[in-house]
Amino acid sequence: MPEAGAPEPIARLIQEFSKLPGIGPKSAQRLAYHVLRAPEDDARALGQALADVKERVVLCESCFNITVSDPCALCDDEQRDRTLVCVVEQPLDVLVVERTGGFRGLYHVLHGSLNPIDGVGPEQLRIQELLRRVEAGAVAEVIMATNPSLEGEATSMYVQRLLQPLGVRVTRLARGLPSGADIEYMDDLTLSRALEGRQEL
Amino acid sequence: MAARPRVYRAEGVVLRRRNLGEADSILTVFSGSEGKFEAIAKGVRKARSRMRGHLEPLTRSRVLVAHGRSLDVFTQAETVDAYRRLREDLDASAEALYCLELVDRFTEEREPLPELYALLVNALELLEGGKGASVTRHFELRLLALLGYEPHIDGCVACGDRLPEEETLLSPSAGGLVCRECRPEAGGGRIVSVPVIKLLRFARRATAAEFAAVGIPPEVQRELRTAIAELVRYHLDRDPNARRFVEGVSALDKGE
Repeated sequence: MPEAGAPEPIARLIQEFSKLPGIGPKSAQRLAYHVLRAPEDDARALGQALADVKERVVLCESCFNITVSDPCALCDDEQRDRTLVCVVEQPLDVLVVERTGGFRGLYHVLHGSLNPIDGVGPEQLRIQELLRRVEAGAVAEVIMATNPSLEGEATSMYVQRLLQPLGVRVTRLARGLPSGADIEYMDDLTLSRALEGRQEL
Repeated sequence: MAARPRVYRAEGVVLRRRNLGEADSILTVFSGSEGKFEAIAKGVRKARSRMRGHLEPLTRSRVLVAHGRSLDVFTQAETVDAYRRLREDLDASAEALYCLELVDRFTEEREPLPELYALLVNALELLEGGKGASVTRHFELRLLALLGYEPHIDGCVACGDRLPEEETLLSPSAGGLVCRECRPEAGGGRIVSVPVIKLLRFARRATAAEFAAVGIPPEVQRELRTAIAELVRYHLDRDPNARRFVEGVSALDKGE
């Protein structure tokens, strides 16, 4: 609903802001009036950034990460190990794995996880694309880095079964205790896997 | 007026999770005492959450829930069974998810169905033990029966006549088996074989374990699955989403 009394451009801006997640009508109003009072350059920069994000960001044709150049910088990097592919659910997960600095292979972004009850099946994810990538032959190991949730695990098992006939090695991230956690509150599943994956001190 | 207790306890299986805001989730739990209910798990998506892991879908948990203004809030959760072997088996997980979806779609909120809860827990345990699709068939049939949708299979549902031991029409809209004479008025349906009719009858008195112990040839298994699927579709007015996943997974198995 346009605000009664607010001039049309402001009312429109309020309306657009209120479509954003977590932004209610009051926050939308505050943001709109903030933009109105802000220097013109800031407002233009915001507008440009919004336009760029839709115009310039594309999916990498190889790993399906979000990128401004196709192939993306990671896929294009000759230094990276092309025989290793780390499979993640979301583009943000790539950033998180990259931040560890411990992985020098390539990625594959599925854009979600299997959720059979909500009707998200393999065809809604970039699973066939992963299969074709592995079929092309250069990949020796696929590391499943999906979330340790029911959906993520189901996705990993599904991909594993799909890739099995190709003879590629399929691994998944270890399960264990997160830093700063309390053993007392740990769930049985995590704790029993952590126990199995114990390491020599 | 007596004050309503502020918290209540329940033991149930987490059916599904929807994310809410930055770190919260709304979980749907099917419990014996409360029936199906929804509540918010605050901060459960943070790594340090104490309830995380105890409130994953397909986990049987004991929970403490506080009444909230709109939605109730989980205050404590402790796993009873995480069905680990079930989760680590793709086929069994698919069957289990299908059972969870059936419960979610067929039940109303806050309607206690202790028998259905016991049936679900039993089915999950058997699926975990590697009993496979027969467990799901038994679960579907018993769920339909408990909710009042049991097909009439002792005689013709239309005229009540005894049925000869032969292929017979199973009509979801008529509500059971239909004899040759009544067939024209029965509406839609599917002709089912004698073994399928026998299995439908056996499921009424057999426990899930007994039913799963019967060696069913693959073609009868397929026929039974399709026949029950039509009953489910008729009463739900749709197919459960997870059915496609169950089929997709078993297709992978056969290397298709």
